[in-house]
Amino acid sequence: MNDLYIILTASLVSASCALLGCFLILRRMAMVGDAISHAVLPGIVIAFLLSGSRDSVTMLIGAGIIGMFTTFLIEFFHKKARLQTDASIGVTFTWLFAIGVVLISLFAGKVDLDQDCVLYGEIAYVPLDVIITQGGINIGPKALYVSGIILIVNLLFVSLAYRKLFLTTFDPYFATAIGISTTVWHYALMGAVSMTTVASFESVGAILVVALLIAPAATAYLLTDNFKTMLALACLMGVLSSITGYYLAVWLDGSIAGAIATMSGVHFALAMLLSPSHGMIYKKLKTHIH
Amino acid sequence: MNTALEIHDLTVAFDRKPVLWNIDLMIPQGKLVGIVGPNGAGKSTLIKAAMGILPLSSGYVKLYDQPLESVRERISYVPQRESVDWDFPASVMDVVLMGRYAKLGLFKRPRKADKDVAIDCLKKVGMEGFINRQISQLSGGQQQRTFLARALAQQADLYFMDEPFAGVDAATEKAIFTLLREMTNQGKTVIVVHHDLQSVSQYFDWVVMLNTRLVTSGPTSKTFTSENLEATYGGKLTLLTDVADLMRRENYPNREENVIKS
Repeated sequence: MNDLYIILTASLVSASCALLGCFLILRRMAMVGDAISHAVLPGIVIAFLLSGSRDSVTMLIGAGIIGMFTTFLIEFFHKKARLQTDASIGVTFTWLFAIGVVLISLFAGKVDLDQDCVLYGEIAYVPLDVIITQGGINIGPKALYVSGIILIVNLLFVSLAYRKLFLTTFDPYFATAIGISTTVWHYALMGAVSMTTVASFESVGAILVVALLIAPAATAYLLTDNFKTMLALACLMGVLSSITGYYLAVWLDGSIAGAIATMSGVHFALAMLLSPSHGMIYKKLKTHIH
Repeated sequence: MNTALEIHDLTVAFDRKPVLWNIDLMIPQGKLVGIVGPNGAGKSTLIKAAMGILPLSSGYVKLYDQPLESVRERISYVPQRESVDWDFPASVMDVVLMGRYAKLGLFKRPRKADKDVAIDCLKKVGMEGFINRQISQLSGGQQQRTFLARALAQQADLYFMDEPFAGVDAATEKAIFTLLREMTNQGKTVIVVHHDLQSVSQYFDWVVMLNTRLVTSGPTSKTFTSENLEATYGGKLTLLTDVADLMRRENYPNREENVIKS
């Protein structure tokens, strides 16, 4: 049962991440997930200091606010200071993360928090944190429900706003010209990334979230030329990485999150070699034939 | 004569450096209009500002005597071909359907009627054989035709086009020109940023000559003269730029500035 809980949670998280990741890589903003997952540290600490509780809802709100603030800062440095997007991402998240580290060290005596517990959620512990109803019935792990809800929200968001997101990603000038606000949809997408990152890293760990935001989407990008297919394939690759990664971890008796991230990398490498349209082997063959 | 586009006292600046200064112009309906000027003259900026893509530092734009917001559905835009990533996972049909998005409600899907319009527009640009082709596999001319088809699919009355003839072969250029002429014959107004001075008098009814400031705007036969070309591109140009630089540094108001028109 525990195996199933872990695989299911990882699959739900990876599907959420994969959906958003497709938009992120096409917008050349793949590292935003990485930025958010680190930059929210001060948000978590401040939320804790203000409320005095380690209740995850408080943490989520604190982290969510800073997550949005991060995307705002990235955009601000990029637009106003004319900084390249990657440099702007780099400056923003290292700075916010550092503030978080300073805050933790300042209040270390009073705060039962450390970088490990906020940054590296451990997916192996998913089955331990269960929800027990008032009747005393164990209805399964909390992380499973959280990641399920997040996936539903993301699916609704992407399917309802599909064309707006597609157009503002492909051709922002044209979108603006026909009256679709690129700013609104940029922040809507960043809000979804922020929410997903924050809600997921508590249960599966930041590194896994970052890997899952990029690798499955990048793999899918190599496998298809159709955007809808890319979305579906990315989810599929995420789930595949979760399943194969889990069993790799069991076999090696190693870190589950590490193994899942490793498998998503392996899938990417395989796609790179074998993809029918972009694959290196196929391209080699084609040049030989001609 | 009815006005399609009216621009009054328009100034656009990036980082406080003016790219367009004090533009006043009027363009009548049903004309094929060329915007010409040297690199950095603000040609693309002018049409982006007119469409609300860039913020105005001063002045206003009216389209069909109304502000942009109330006539947006009647306005279409063909961006520069290089402004998008052609490796994007999309088909020709996906791109052309984008022209229908403004007509669709926020969450409605394109219907069969929208697809029919898209196919019809692809036929007009001679791309009906490429409906399901991936955009990454198109040649430059085909990319340009796809963008044109997308603009046509909007079924607008006023079209802004940013260098639709750039990097296309002679046959495509001729086909595009014929299409634009058909559109203006139907009373639509087409405003084109253009680079090739050779073809200006052959292509356009109306020409806008621009170099940060408006040099002149009027019917091609009267306006496209060697004096105006000189004023836009040559000799005096460097001097004027120097004056402009000096005035910006000194923060002079530029309203009484009429050097160019004289």
